[in-house]
Amino acid sequence: MNLNYEKSSIELPEAWRAKAPFFLAAGVILLMLGFLCAFGGNSNGEDNSLGFRYLCHSYLANFVYVFTFTLGALFFILVQFLTRAGWSTSIRRVAEILMMMIPYLGLLFLPIIAMLFWGSSALYEWNGKNIHNSVIASKASFYLSKEFFTARTVVYFTFWILTANWFFRISRAQDESGDAELSLLRQKWAGPLIMLFSLSASFAAFDWLMSIDADWYSTIFGVYLFAGSQMSFFAMMIVINMLLQNAGKIQKLVTVEHFHDMGKFLFGFVMFWSYIAFSQLVLIWYANIPEETFWYQVRLDNGWMTFSYCIIPIHFIIPFLFLMSRHIRRNRTALTIGAVWLLFAHWYDMTFLVMPNAGPAQLVPLFGHLLGGFGMLSIFASMFIWRADGVPLVAMRDPRLPEAMSYTNPIL
Amino acid sequence: MGKNTQTNRVTMATIANSFNPREIDNTDDIPGRRAPLITGNQTYGSVTDIVCRVAEDAQPMLWWILFGFSSLTAVSFLTLIAFLIYKGVGIWGNMNPVFWAWPIVNFVFWVGIGHAGTLISAILFLFRQNWRTSINRAAEAMTIFAVICAGIYPGIHVGRAWLAFWLLPYPSLNLWMWPQFRSPLLWDVFAVGTYASVSLVFWYMGMIPDLATYRDRSKSPLRRMVYGILCLGWTGSSRHWLRYEKAYTLLAAFAAPLVLSVHTVVSFDFAVSQVAGWHTTIFPPYFVAGAIFSGFAMVVTLLVPLRAIYKLENLITLRHLDNMNKIILATGSLVGLAYATEFFMAWYSQNQYEGFTFFNRAFGPYWWAYWTMVTCNVISPQLFWFKKLRTSPFWMVVVSIFVNIGMWFERFVITVTSLSRDFLPSSWGYFKPTLFDGLMFFGSFGVFMSLFLLFCRFLPTIAMSEVKGIMSAAAHAEHAEGAHGHDH
Amino acid sequence: MSEHKPRKTTEKKVPKAFGWMAEYQDENSLLAAARKVRDSGYTKTDAFTPFPVHGIDEALGIKPTILPFIVLCAGITGLSTALLMQWWMNGVDYKYIISGKPFGITPASIPVAFELTVLFSAFTTFLGMIALNQLPKFSNPVFTNPRFDRATNDRFFLYVEAADKYYNRESVKELLGGTHPDSLDEVLEDTTPSALPRPIILGAILLVIAGLIPAMIILNIRAGYSTAPRFHVFFDMDFQPKKKAQQTTTIFADGRSMRPQVKGTVGRGQLEEQDSFYLGYDPAKLTAIDTLETGKFVSLQDSKTADGSAAKPAADGSAQTPAAPAAALNLPWIDKLPIEVSEANMALGKQKFETYCSACHGYAGFGDGLVHKRADALAQGYWLAPTSLHVDKVRTQPVGQIFHTITKGQGKMASYASSLNPKERWAIVLYVRALQKSRNADMSEVPADMVKTLDEVK
Repeated sequence: MNLNYEKSSIELPEAWRAKAPFFLAAGVILLMLGFLCAFGGNSNGEDNSLGFRYLCHSYLANFVYVFTFTLGALFFILVQFLTRAGWSTSIRRVAEILMMMIPYLGLLFLPIIAMLFWGSSALYEWNGKNIHNSVIASKASFYLSKEFFTARTVVYFTFWILTANWFFRISRAQDESGDAELSLLRQKWAGPLIMLFSLSASFAAFDWLMSIDADWYSTIFGVYLFAGSQMSFFAMMIVINMLLQNAGKIQKLVTVEHFHDMGKFLFGFVMFWSYIAFSQLVLIWYANIPEETFWYQVRLDNGWMTFSYCIIPIHFIIPFLFLMSRHIRRNRTALTIGAVWLLFAHWYDMTFLVMPNAGPAQLVPLFGHLLGGFGMLSIFASMFIWRADGVPLVAMRDPRLPEAMSYTNPIL
Repeated sequence: MGKNTQTNRVTMATIANSFNPREIDNTDDIPGRRAPLITGNQTYGSVTDIVCRVAEDAQPMLWWILFGFSSLTAVSFLTLIAFLIYKGVGIWGNMNPVFWAWPIVNFVFWVGIGHAGTLISAILFLFRQNWRTSINRAAEAMTIFAVICAGIYPGIHVGRAWLAFWLLPYPSLNLWMWPQFRSPLLWDVFAVGTYASVSLVFWYMGMIPDLATYRDRSKSPLRRMVYGILCLGWTGSSRHWLRYEKAYTLLAAFAAPLVLSVHTVVSFDFAVSQVAGWHTTIFPPYFVAGAIFSGFAMVVTLLVPLRAIYKLENLITLRHLDNMNKIILATGSLVGLAYATEFFMAWYSQNQYEGFTFFNRAFGPYWWAYWTMVTCNVISPQLFWFKKLRTSPFWMVVVSIFVNIGMWFERFVITVTSLSRDFLPSSWGYFKPTLFDGLMFFGSFGVFMSLFLLFCRFLPTIAMSEVKGIMSAAAHAEHAEGAHGHDH
Repeated sequence: MSEHKPRKTTEKKVPKAFGWMAEYQDENSLLAAARKVRDSGYTKTDAFTPFPVHGIDEALGIKPTILPFIVLCAGITGLSTALLMQWWMNGVDYKYIISGKPFGITPASIPVAFELTVLFSAFTTFLGMIALNQLPKFSNPVFTNPRFDRATNDRFFLYVEAADKYYNRESVKELLGGTHPDSLDEVLEDTTPSALPRPIILGAILLVIAGLIPAMIILNIRAGYSTAPRFHVFFDMDFQPKKKAQQTTTIFADGRSMRPQVKGTVGRGQLEEQDSFYLGYDPAKLTAIDTLETGKFVSLQDSKTADGSAAKPAADGSAQTPAAPAAALNLPWIDKLPIEVSEANMALGKQKFETYCSACHGYAGFGDGLVHKRADALAQGYWLAPTSLHVDKVRTQPVGQIFHTITKGQGKMASYASSLNPKERWAIVLYVRALQKSRNADMSEVPADMVKTLDEVK
């Protein structure tokens, strides 16, 4: 292969590097402002714990929001090797960098663990002292105890970090040697790992998000979070690739065909998310069993109704209609607008899943939650820059790179 | 490389493989260089010859034996249906409290099998999986025949089968009423009806260029006329091809979510109820995964003998079979994951009905069905982790038949165990099928096989034009690489 | 078509030429040739290939198709059709409550909406493709050359039509000849007879006629009249393997399909037949007369009463009312109310009387209810007025008989047993008694403190 590109064209833009500390600082400040708003809206009330509830829920929602990008990236990498994909070779490294952010983001989960061991039940009702609900009480004795919960979380993270590291190490080794066997090695292990991945991701969704309503259960919940995470991952990929190209990098390696394909995946996962969300809704709505319907009731009461209904246009109708045309998907600017919209939609979805549990809908804490979301994104950006620093943005010696450079999207 | 290790060790697989000297292993890709999808240095003309011979040559003895047997079975199935209509559904074993028994199990079983074809032609098309071209036609045909078998069961299960058209919303002059659109069973009518008709259109449209090939090769004027009418006077004009490809892509884009929707709606039949073991939110994707699983298993079961009988090994290569087996492995594991999730959630929910239902499935009176299902569906596909088994025609047929059995039992377990132990212990019962249940299930295979054999006899079994298309694309890619072309 | 006529006279005429057709071995030569032809300015061109050749649209200058737009419209139509249909059928025209689900568009409408969107779109895609390609077209001049058969196999053809505005027979031939084709032929009109073979036409006509026969039979059955009994294709539930009352059977020795009650058993509701509260007469006394004949007797009496003929005086007359007319029933009526005479029962009786009885008998019981007034006006003399409850015949009846009348009906009056339970019927009897009393009371019966009020009313 003679891909004679400037080495600098596959490095992180110089200007970005300097911005990383700024992003981190801005992120922390925004998070703090968000916390203040959570309390601020409820400082005059007697019930001081409501503010704390907002804070905890907002943190969890925003954490899961950014974490799903990386989880989506890990799945994407596994699937690319499993299916021996060629088209994605030139965009794969950016996804690998996203995947390698899992250890960094793992640190952001520590406050939640700390909160559990501090003994707060503001976020997880099952962590409380006196649980009135007998169903929750019976779970809290073993499965939903803080020790077991923490142990499981550690297992998930260990698995994800080991997998990501292994894949990344081999990918970097291939950068040096260009050895085709290294592709085959990853291909071989992608299958078993993807099964463990689906198990771990499902259970992480059950533990982290579903257990905030500890007496509610839905078997599809893991798939629901998976759908959202894949969708937001592709949105993130589109935005990052666009930003890198605007900064003058990877312009020839990532073609309009890649954007088109990512756009198709984005569109596909918008539909998949809607399918999963509808499946969960229609089954619970139709059977009308009180043990299940209350989850939706919480999201319709206390002023949340408008917010909850808006998820239908925001997360489905608008992006569906927008991304339907091939011309939009092949236009980088238009596609990026769609991707940014869906990044917002995913934040909205996480808010929908978590925030109504905190308490009634109030404007100020919700605004604080939005600030927190921006804060998390900002921290995420700084982490990305640090992680990507010194790593080539394209796996230049992957034997499948030529295939990625020469394919076209014929019709759709 | 894989070939050497294979010949060193004598296993059942190698013995089975060694019967067939035409087998060429093209399952491995050296990264950066795609292995050929079809083997034997084919030209456009040779592809045409191989495929057209299937219908032009005299059929082998085996075809006549199989067709004789399966058409007899089909006729006896129709006779049984006539008897059922005359006598009533009481000849089945359906009895309080299990009113949904074998007919519904068979319906879901066949609909599930009918998922592979359109999945292969639509979803794999959208994912640019070129290997679909050699197998999509036969798989689509199988899909349509399976859906026909599936449609029979609810039709005759309604009791007064001659009034089954009341399911459709037509303005009736003596009823003055409309069907109940809030019933999932009516959604089923629309979903299966749409799926059957769209699959038929998709299948037929894909066949038009190949029917033109059949027409142009025909010697007898009658044949030429029949194929000429069937292919609508197709010329292969580029202007036609352009619209045709656009239409094909659009149909694929519609058929892809349609495939998912059909078994989703079938799962709604169960899941919108409040019956423990039926009402669980994972049902839609879990049913879809199971359907793809069983569909691919049936495709493997049919294609392995098909390619051997008609000597199609160069077009339906080991690579195609290997890929399908991988999908079987993946979906089988997904189904296993769904079983595990259901069990976990039954415990996690702390809901006594859920807990009992799942305990009862595994250790209740139907434990044998449950463990058959787990063995066939979850354990048997795990054999496909071994490449040797995955590329051995003998073993893949064995596993795919196991999967078919397992998927039938899955529907049996879901339907019967939950109903036989419902909320009211005084009405609990044990379902026993009658002879008619068994005969009518067996008979549907006769319909299925007869149609499939007729399809092989008269219609193009492999999408020639699509195979030629990817041959051309592969040649171009090779050409571009040889000239180290990075001109953009 | 204008040449249709002279064909008969000039058997060997020169066939019309439609253009030039060049044949190539592979798609690359075809693409090169197509570009050359396009660059020479020809637009009425086409290529014929066994599979869609990548890049041929650009090489020939073919414009993209409008098919997706048509399909989008069809999809929207399908979606709206489904939603409107479900909303109107289940929410407006035929409302039907099922498991408490609301009418109109709900999550339950989504599956059908999705399916119909796909159905409409998919069929429009297919039919649209067929229509835009102007298929089916069975007769095409390109088929005339047998070499063209390989266009669907392994050869590639390039066609320049004579209809092109720059077309010149010789220059096109030269241009195509310069692209090194395998062969170069002129596309000629198909001169073989175009009429369908006679057996095919005959067969088609026969098929159509045969197809019409069942339709005619059904039409005849649906539209015509017949005195013959219905022909049952399907039995539905018209014939059932069961016995009806009064039929014979071979199963039982006595040949009766209707079985007598087993000795020593009591049927559901049978105990009520032993209680005067439900009957109005004392069954014990009746059975003392003639156990076997009782049932027969009552029914006979009932029917005879309707005829107006004399009742058979079988009873011993112990409870017989002195002034009973000949048509009256003659049973051991009870003459003591089995319910308590209380304000509550009186109120109940009043309420029920005014609901059920007053329409004919009038609020005061004179037989002048609204029904009577209207019927009297309409029937102009043929209307038989309802009995006044204040005539002697009624006044002298024991309470049991009045109860019986309400229970069984009398003359035109229907039975009220299904509308009123026994207690309500007795309450009405009580109220009727009170009404009668109010018309026939002595001053002595009026309580002392009320006498003064009465005087004031006067």
